[in-house]
Amino acid sequence: MTNQLQQAFNWLLTVLLFLTIRIGFGQNVNGVVLDKTNSKEEPIIGATVNWLGTKVATTTDLEGKFTIARAKSKKLVISFVGYKSDTLDISNETDLRVYLQSENQLQEVVVRSSSTSMDRLSPIHTEIITSKALAKAACCNLSESFETNASVSVSYADAVTGAKQIQLLGLAGTYVQTNVENIPSIRGLATTFGLNYIPGTWIQSIDIGKGAGSVVNGYESMTGQINVELQKPDLAEKVYLNTYVNSLGRGEINLNLAHIFKQKQESKPKWSVALLSHGSTMQTTIDKNNDNFYDLPKYTQANFINRWKYESDKMVAQFGVKYLYDTRLGGQINKNPLSLDNLIYRFSNTTNRAEFFSKTAKLYQSKPYRGLGLILNGVTHDSQSQFGFRPYNGKQNTLYGNLIYQDIFGNTNHSYKAGLSFLYDKYDEKFADLTYQREEIVKGGFFEYTYKHLEKLTAVAGTRLDFHNLYGTIFTPRLHVLYNATENTALRLSAGKGFRTANPFAEYFGNLVSSRTVRFLETINPEISWNYGVSLTKTFGKSNLIIDLYHTRFQNQLIGDTEHPNFLYFYNSQGNNYANSAQIELNLVPAPRLELKVAYRYSDVWQTLGKSLNQEITVRKMFVPRDRVLLNVGYALPYDKWKFDVTLQYNGQRRIPNLSTTYVHTSYESMPIQYAPAFVNLNAQVSRAFRRWDIYLGGENLTNFRQKDPIVTPDNPFGSRFDAGSAWGPVVGRVIYFGTRYKLGGRI
Amino acid sequence: MKKVISILTILLTISILTFAVEPPKTAEIKIKTSAKCGMCKKRIERDLGVSKGIVNSNLNLDDKVVTITYNTKKTSPEKIKEVISKIGYDADEVVADQKSHDALPSCCQKTSASHKD
Repeated sequence: MTNQLQQAFNWLLTVLLFLTIRIGFGQNVNGVVLDKTNSKEEPIIGATVNWLGTKVATTTDLEGKFTIARAKSKKLVISFVGYKSDTLDISNETDLRVYLQSENQLQEVVVRSSSTSMDRLSPIHTEIITSKALAKAACCNLSESFETNASVSVSYADAVTGAKQIQLLGLAGTYVQTNVENIPSIRGLATTFGLNYIPGTWIQSIDIGKGAGSVVNGYESMTGQINVELQKPDLAEKVYLNTYVNSLGRGEINLNLAHIFKQKQESKPKWSVALLSHGSTMQTTIDKNNDNFYDLPKYTQANFINRWKYESDKMVAQFGVKYLYDTRLGGQINKNPLSLDNLIYRFSNTTNRAEFFSKTAKLYQSKPYRGLGLILNGVTHDSQSQFGFRPYNGKQNTLYGNLIYQDIFGNTNHSYKAGLSFLYDKYDEKFADLTYQREEIVKGGFFEYTYKHLEKLTAVAGTRLDFHNLYGTIFTPRLHVLYNATENTALRLSAGKGFRTANPFAEYFGNLVSSRTVRFLETINPEISWNYGVSLTKTFGKSNLIIDLYHTRFQNQLIGDTEHPNFLYFYNSQGNNYANSAQIELNLVPAPRLELKVAYRYSDVWQTLGKSLNQEITVRKMFVPRDRVLLNVGYALPYDKWKFDVTLQYNGQRRIPNLSTTYVHTSYESMPIQYAPAFVNLNAQVSRAFRRWDIYLGGENLTNFRQKDPIVTPDNPFGSRFDAGSAWGPVVGRVIYFGTRYKLGGRI
Repeated sequence: MKKVISILTILLTISILTFAVEPPKTAEIKIKTSAKCGMCKKRIERDLGVSKGIVNSNLNLDDKVVTITYNTKKTSPEKIKEVISKIGYDADEVVADQKSHDALPSCCQKTSASHKD
């Protein structure tokens, strides 16, 4: 019956087509939409064909054919899920042959021209930092990659360990789910130094999603999601060597090698392999403020990834191993000459981290919208530290699995992703006389439905249900909507819940470099948040304007209370704990190869403190500047022969703990509120490209701004008021650096 | 007034002299290459773009001829052909540097059939 109906329908359509061609010649545009992936032409059924900016639309039939009445618009848009949309200029053409390219294929070839861009098709507000923007901040790892991005800021954690933390939407980087190729990576104990563990030269691009992310990657994304794509074995240069030295004496070598094995036949599976390696060290003694403390720890890091890729018509598999060794030594340089005992305050940390990962995807050649993927990851992380007399040892073992199936309901306007996930986390931590152990086993399932209406509207509704061995059932709903009001205006809405287990020692690592006694007032519960956001993107030519507003409210938050100078209290939040963030960003391209960025961000972040004294007072969260301004100017000659880049950041006032040695903390209600002054940070870089070589010269913190006394009572590190964990600004001044990049055998 | 005139005269003489001494700054040259595809075009134009003395270059994929504007003071046709050879392509009578040629992706090597993408 259905067959007959279909045949009748076909016949009718042919007749109609014929009629329209005969009668309506010149009034209609006819065409056929085809796929030519395997040098075979196959019709694409159900592709949407519409005139840009109008409501005139149709879909292709079983033979991939369509007929559409002419409209005022001269631009015809042809789109289909799994394929790259095509826009054609139509003047008098009537019979078209349109070849759509599969999206997977295209992604590999796309070279984004401008350095930062917005992902226009994603319903989640996503900013992309390309390798071009990464080259602007030539040094050195992921923590420094956000220098020219307005949304993410890097904050200084303390004056001793050299750890760097990021902030997004006014909240710490721990609330951002940081993935490496869609595998949750910088989490657990790695939150302390994790950003320093991904060298910049390994990175192909970074996606920054603001607001609660997709449920596919788990429940941990609270304020955003950062996904780092590393260099791929089949796309990277055969040889990429980077060297770097700076005026502080830091030296770095990065070597990436990639190789594609020769295929015996075109049809045979393709193998490729890559080795990404990194070695860096700094062995100089830097003490610019003469407090007898190393401004930056001496350190050595060795780090590599060996990854493999297998590609055939039916499947793509990637797998590899990672290994990291990092050791650092900071603290007092010499024994205090005035002290009678033979004591010296030292901070040290040695981290060993090993990891394996695999990603397997089954492909359905004739149905590019369908896919089945499996992600597996295992990590063992071992961190050993010494803070003066107090040792800290942390061990983490993690196993992660995620199975994702992707398909459509009927036609590609309705697509979905569904899957199952598994997480095993085992933590073993010991700080001085405190032990902190946890074993988490989480089994979960998720479902995410995407509705697409032409180019106008995309809505993604996702839910996941997880069964946690310690915290019971966790329900996580999330919603994202993208509405293209006009061709140049996009409105995005997002709302969603986030959940995570906090790791107090790893997250407040810098605060441990002090005489503070660590005290847990109660059992720490998992953190739960709700995030709501709205963003507006307006593009005009190559320029754009982005305005966004986000609100994050915590149902429960881990409070690390440093108001009392002798204690670091950990407790569950009470009352109001929230963050508001508003940002306006203007990207201008006034002339070819000239890029201008101006951005202002307002962060309004509040926490309720006082449990240690049974009080309840809502105050501004520490170390979050209320105002931040970013200015970036970049100019390049054709082919980037010469490139110039200047970035200016204004960091407004931020609340800091009361560091006066005479301060006595007796009440939260009457405590004086202190602010650190605002400061400016200026960075600049020049680079020159040759055929195989790039050289670059740059400077960070060119105004040479330094926080005067980042450490409280540095002359008495074993005294009761010693505190190096409350630094708010740069400890080292101006840094000049020089580096080279050598590339051989690029694929383009 | 006299002073002004004399200064102007001196300036004028200098400028005339410098113009007379200076040869035409740029010249154009057309070189036939062994390019195959868009990738080759990109590679050749990019690598020429960052090479000494090249002002502009454009490779026509129909006839594989690259049109180059260059600074005559900084480079010469011989040197430019040498650069193209080093990239891995034939440049008129100068044969491609074998090592560079072999390092090119197989679709860009001389044995490959001409293709558009």
